Amino acid sequence: MMRSGGANSARVARSKGVQFSKSPMLAVSLPPWRSRVVLFVLFAAFAALAIRAVWLQGLSTQFLQDQGELRYGRTLELPATRGNIRDRDNQVLASSAEVRGVWGVPNELLKEPADKLRALAALLDMPEAELRGKLETKQAQVDAKRKPDDKDKDKDKQVLLYLKRQVEMDVAHKITALKLDGIEMRKEYKRYYPQGGVVSHVIGFNDLEDVGQEGMEKAQESWLKGKPGSRRVIVDRLGHIVEDAGTITEPHEGKDLILSLDSKIQYIAFSQVKNAVEKFKAKAGAAIVLDVHTGEVLALANYPTFEPKEARTLRGADREVLRNHVITDTFEPGSTLKPFTVALGMDTGRYKPSTLIDTGSGRYTILDRTISDTKGHGVINVQQIIEMSSNIGTSKIALSMPAQEMWELFTKVGFGQQPKWGFPGAQAGRVRPYKSWRPIEQATMSYGNGISVSLIQLARAYLIFARDGDIIPLSFQKVSAPPVGTQVIKPQTARQMREMLETVVSGKDGTAKQAQIAGYRAGGKTGTAYKVVNGRYAIPRKYIGSFAGMVPMSNPRFVIAVMIDEPTQGGHYGGQVAAPTFAAVAANALRSKNVPPDSTVTEIVVPSDSGPEAM
Amino acid sequence: MSFKINAVLAALLVGCALSLVNAQYQARHLFISLERAQRQARQLDVDWAQLQLDQSTLGKHGRIEEIARRDLNMTPLTANRTQYLTEGEQ
Repeated sequence: MMRSGGANSARVARSKGVQFSKSPMLAVSLPPWRSRVVLFVLFAAFAALAIRAVWLQGLSTQFLQDQGELRYGRTLELPATRGNIRDRDNQVLASSAEVRGVWGVPNELLKEPADKLRALAALLDMPEAELRGKLETKQAQVDAKRKPDDKDKDKDKQVLLYLKRQVEMDVAHKITALKLDGIEMRKEYKRYYPQGGVVSHVIGFNDLEDVGQEGMEKAQESWLKGKPGSRRVIVDRLGHIVEDAGTITEPHEGKDLILSLDSKIQYIAFSQVKNAVEKFKAKAGAAIVLDVHTGEVLALANYPTFEPKEARTLRGADREVLRNHVITDTFEPGSTLKPFTVALGMDTGRYKPSTLIDTGSGRYTILDRTISDTKGHGVINVQQIIEMSSNIGTSKIALSMPAQEMWELFTKVGFGQQPKWGFPGAQAGRVRPYKSWRPIEQATMSYGNGISVSLIQLARAYLIFARDGDIIPLSFQKVSAPPVGTQVIKPQTARQMREMLETVVSGKDGTAKQAQIAGYRAGGKTGTAYKVVNGRYAIPRKYIGSFAGMVPMSNPRFVIAVMIDEPTQGGHYGGQVAAPTFAAVAANALRSKNVPPDSTVTEIVVPSDSGPEAM
Repeated sequence: MSFKINAVLAALLVGCALSLVNAQYQARHLFISLERAQRQARQLDVDWAQLQLDQSTLGKHGRIEEIARRDLNMTPLTANRTQYLTEGEQ
């Protein structure tokens, strides 16, 4: 009956029914729900905490982990440098080094004290006014762009202006030491070319992002390029790395490229071409040296040349110096092509070196066109046709053979074929299909007119004479094993042709006496061609003097081809302008490679006037 | 009995905890020296590349020739001033 007692029941603890006091004075009359509310609120609070904990620990982990990572995690880039380019003796021809791009936040920098800005300008190698002008112009642009009601000043921090790129590390350190606000450094790579203009046409150059733009840099981009890796680390408050966290992506360093070039021969070729261009006041000159046994390009020189580090800044007509005349220019080779026609005649058994041919009085008419020699040679043999470079003799040999055979030989030695030596901009040259050849064309083609080749194609084709009649692929990279050749003419024919080519240089009537080298036997063929401008021969005549030859004749080691473009003084025939360059390059190259001399002639006396020569 | 086991376990626990601290400390130390060594290796790589570059720059044939001509008064070799020796010849 307690419940009905009413007043008494209030003094009893609800849960156990224990009376606290028997004194009625102490009876507090609280409504029974209040303690329940308190109890409920307490439990609810605990439950809320528990749910929150579960929420943080179990469900919304990502956000917190990200925030934590932001505070102690860092992703470091593991740099991968671009591979070096080296010559065959491992000498560095191109190498990348880390540099800094300096960027600035205009409005922060402008607030810096004047003397600091002056110091910065001095380090960046620009007048202070220019630096200030740059910053102010940029800031003005930014201010103009921003809407007037835009109060978000923080956006200024996003505005970066590049002050100077490719700043070398020691300068970059000095800039950092100035402790300027608003300076940002970004890692960049700069390519160094220690040999400068001597090899620039082979190596090419890179853009500001260190990506190849020309030459081997472009051709071998994927080989040279490094792939940077990354690693995740945990850092302490001061930025020291405490431990690795997570996976490491290994960087892949760019691989080194070993070229076939020989720096010494390259320098020799370059300086001799330079001399020749200056001496004959020519527009340009080029030379290539091939290794007969391996098909490696030992030297490839062009003049005028360019400094790789300045190449990017060249504009308009100045970019002409980037032209690699050896590979990207095709020209009518002229008489340097005669040996191929004559070799074909001998190879098919139609002619022997001693076969007599009547070249008459020096003029020979085919239908309505006349071919001429420099003078009437009369009845001469095949060997003398090469020695004296008779157009008529070569034409007669050519016309006695089917056009298809000539075309096949030209094609086999690579004329008119798209080159496969992996060099950007390589030209195929032009050999028209034999079915459309008219007799006069077949005749002129036999002495190198109406056909166009590049100097490198010409040099490579001469390999068939320097080797025993087979042709091998060329390589700009060092080769370890000798390549397999394809037989084009019989070894016997190649040997006979070598003897003939030697008479061109050392014979009584040879057209290339200036190609003689003291101590060595040399052989080759001169060529003089009219330049074709806009599809017709240029008037007044512009010439290309060329010479393709090999040394030493007893066992050819190098094939060297030289071309002098538009010589304007001191002669224009191949025998006058290109042959001496050939001799100089060959003599120095042989000496530098310690090739034993194969001739006892040590004094070269060349008659000053060797007279006109055929094209 | 159970008190003894507890005491031993507690001592073990403390021991393990201390050795963990020590191991962590050692690991940090080693890690830092590894980092330092790697940084040094990278720096040496950079120096090596720089030295090779310098070698190529200073060993440029054009430079050698210029110095030989100008400072050392040397002239290019010619065949008529060369004596060739053949091995085994009297």
